[in-house]
Amino acid sequence: MSGIAQTRLLEERKNWRKDHPAGFFARPKLDDGKQNLMVWECGIPGKKETPWEGGVYKLVLEFPEQFPSQPPKCRFIPPLFHPNVYPSGTVCLSILDPDKNWRPALTVKQVLLGIQDLLDNPNIEDPANQPAYALFLKDKKKYREKVLAIAAQNRPV
Amino acid sequence: MDEKPAKPEGQAKAEGEDKQLNIKVKDSDGNEVQFKIKRTTPMSKLMSAYASRLGVDENTYRFNFDGNRISPSDTPDSLDMEDMDCIDAMVYQQGGH
Repeated sequence: MSGIAQTRLLEERKNWRKDHPAGFFARPKLDDGKQNLMVWECGIPGKKETPWEGGVYKLVLEFPEQFPSQPPKCRFIPPLFHPNVYPSGTVCLSILDPDKNWRPALTVKQVLLGIQDLLDNPNIEDPANQPAYALFLKDKKKYREKVLAIAAQNRPV
Repeated sequence: MDEKPAKPEGQAKAEGEDKQLNIKVKDSDGNEVQFKIKRTTPMSKLMSAYASRLGVDENTYRFNFDGNRISPSDTPDSLDMEDMDCIDAMVYQQGGH
């Protein structure tokens, strides 16, 4: 178990408890009542005044042993209908790619805010999800309706 | 018979048992209000204090801690809260129009 990763994640969790962006959550997974710092369960609220508003989208962050040299793997569970989310649910985003914009200084908060921003700002240059990409290009109105339906399904109880 | 319920993982809270926690409530615009609450006080107290502070009806907001909805009978102890923890206040809304 990597000491650096654990120390950093413990610190991140401490800071998160004290302050975090409104409507988000991020907590280490509990395995038999014990905190597993390497896997976090998170929720991202849709931004206001976007069709994603009202929904909270759940994802899991898996931190590798090499964190923070290597970024966490971020996966929506269940997979999200979005041009930059693979059918597996994995998020395709430059700040999560060690060969692109990942930096060890990026915090969990910045990662989650980045993903929130991606929801309504898909990058059509780099699609990861064919059906979502195709609908986004072909029929913006239908795409919007689909997103509104997804937001309605993901309203917190 | 011990009157106090057993703490999980044998946490030694004896000294801080009656100490008040500072809990921050943050709304979706990022405004914060801070409250002091005892570990064993039901969260319903904090909820109504928040509503009256803002001058709104008690059912206006629902409260989340770590992604879970807080119920009025929860206490800081039952939620495993720590000093300076932050909870979210969201405007209650219902789907369908």
